[in-house]
Amino acid sequence: MDIEQKQEELIDHFVKQASSLTGSALSSVVADATSHPSLFAFSEILALPNLLQLEGTENAVYLDVLRLFAHGTWSDYKSNAGRLPQLVPDQALKLRQLTVLTLAETNKILPYDQLMQELDVANVRELEDFLINECMYAGIVRGKLDQLRKCFEVQFAAGRDPRPEQLGSMIQTLSNWLVTSDNLLISIQEKMSWADKMTELNKQHKKEIEDKVEDVKRAYSMKKFHPVSRPTVTSGGMRRSTPNLVE
Amino acid sequence: MAESSSSGLTFKLHPLVMVNISDHYSRVKSQMNPPIAAHNATATTTATNNNNNNGAEAVETASSSSSSSSASSPRVFGCVIGVQRGRTVEIFNSFELLYDPETHSLERGFLEKKQELYKKVFPHFYILGWYSTGSDAQESDMTIHKALMDINESPVYVLLNPVINPAQKDLPITIYESELHVIDGVPQLIFVSSSYTIETVEAERISVDHVAHLKPSDGGSAATQLAAHLTGIHSAIKMLNSRIRVLHHYLLAMQKGEIPCENSLLRQVSSLLRRLPAVESGKFQDDFLMEYNDTLLITYLAVLTNCSSTMNELVDKFNTAYDRHSRRGGGGRTAFF
Repeated sequence: MDIEQKQEELIDHFVKQASSLTGSALSSVVADATSHPSLFAFSEILALPNLLQLEGTENAVYLDVLRLFAHGTWSDYKSNAGRLPQLVPDQALKLRQLTVLTLAETNKILPYDQLMQELDVANVRELEDFLINECMYAGIVRGKLDQLRKCFEVQFAAGRDPRPEQLGSMIQTLSNWLVTSDNLLISIQEKMSWADKMTELNKQHKKEIEDKVEDVKRAYSMKKFHPVSRPTVTSGGMRRSTPNLVE
Repeated sequence: MAESSSSGLTFKLHPLVMVNISDHYSRVKSQMNPPIAAHNATATTTATNNNNNNGAEAVETASSSSSSSSASSPRVFGCVIGVQRGRTVEIFNSFELLYDPETHSLERGFLEKKQELYKKVFPHFYILGWYSTGSDAQESDMTIHKALMDINESPVYVLLNPVINPAQKDLPITIYESELHVIDGVPQLIFVSSSYTIETVEAERISVDHVAHLKPSDGGSAATQLAAHLTGIHSAIKMLNSRIRVLHHYLLAMQKGEIPCENSLLRQVSSLLRRLPAVESGKFQDDFLMEYNDTLLITYLAVLTNCSSTMNELVDKFNTAYDRHSRRGGGGRTAFF
């Protein structure tokens, strides 16, 4: 959530810049935006009418680049490398970071092999360095690296620009969450009433036993016995087998 | 006297101040009670009411520093300090003061000494006003208020009502300011109450949380502890539930197009939902079941131990009961059913 705050000012800045320019000047804005180290959100810039005008012109590549950064991954770039302009190292780095975010969207546990393949990284050391330095320190991802099991457990990942169809699935997830928590509330209520009921039963049981003991005590004191007033449950038996205790 | 203020100042009160005032009041009240009880016990039945009152007053002035002659509800006084930034008055701390019932004023030398000491520790805090206990502001309080006006030109008066009202939902604290109103043609200073908010620092949050979770110390029964714990969880989940519901409605409205799409919010929501499901993974199930089994085992063991000790007691009782006469036709064994 703090990433959003950090990005807010940058987004405003770029939006203002882009809305005042048109045509090829926008390419520099796009290049700036995609290489900026703390900017991961491009949908606001994409929504600007100036940029959409670029569609179909010779500068359409910049619009594609922006779209790639908003929704695509590194493998998308590699497959379309012919059409898109060469990415500077900053942009390449950013695209890799965004790829990690996309991968984190689907699974919580990312195996190293998959990460290495998607990010075009040769060995585990480089992968871990990349994850630690570029992703975790930048604050876009939080998680644990499990080297023994060769996987990366994601605990938190910043969101990428949402595609329109993702809205539906988000609403579905939220309603599921709501249903689950409602059920949980009901079962907690049930447990509480169960606990109360059991205390009641327990107390009743205790009271019954104590009443019985009192009765027996009283019955005893009526017969002039030597005070063997120890309360036991088998007092009937005592009376039977100890008649000679009468003094 | 209880109109609402129009000065436009916003007040922020820290829980520390409230705890201080109530602590001061409770201390004074509990210190008062034993001496009065002892005195009344030694007083003979022929002592008149007058004598009792005078004796009580003498004992009071000896034992407690600031109390009026009412035996049941002493009034305590003190000073509140804090910071004033522009229109916001934030009351951080408080300390106690001696009250002189004859001149109806707070002891000045002590106040200044304390002020100096506090200035050394908290250089930014100023004296913002004073506090007292009681159910309503009284006329005599105005004299104290005016006396403080030379330190702070508009002091605040914090009043704590020590009478516990179980039906009351909010805090029994009122903050009064003084305003110049024209009554019957004569401009007078009267108290007007103003609203305030509670502001906490992290450390205060810990202690407030601690107080809120006070359970009966002997545990009551296991069921009441369980019920208390479950109630806490229940209310926490209910709050979470209502917040998720709000998000849900918001997204639905966005989908229908009633609200323009706000991308930054959507990004945050998607990253939040990415963290679910939190409880479904295999590792969680394993750990959970292990802990569950451990708890069950321990409970079983405890029940077994309990059972065996009860048995032991029963057997002891039998032995003692049937020890006197040896072998009486089967002895106690026939009685064992």
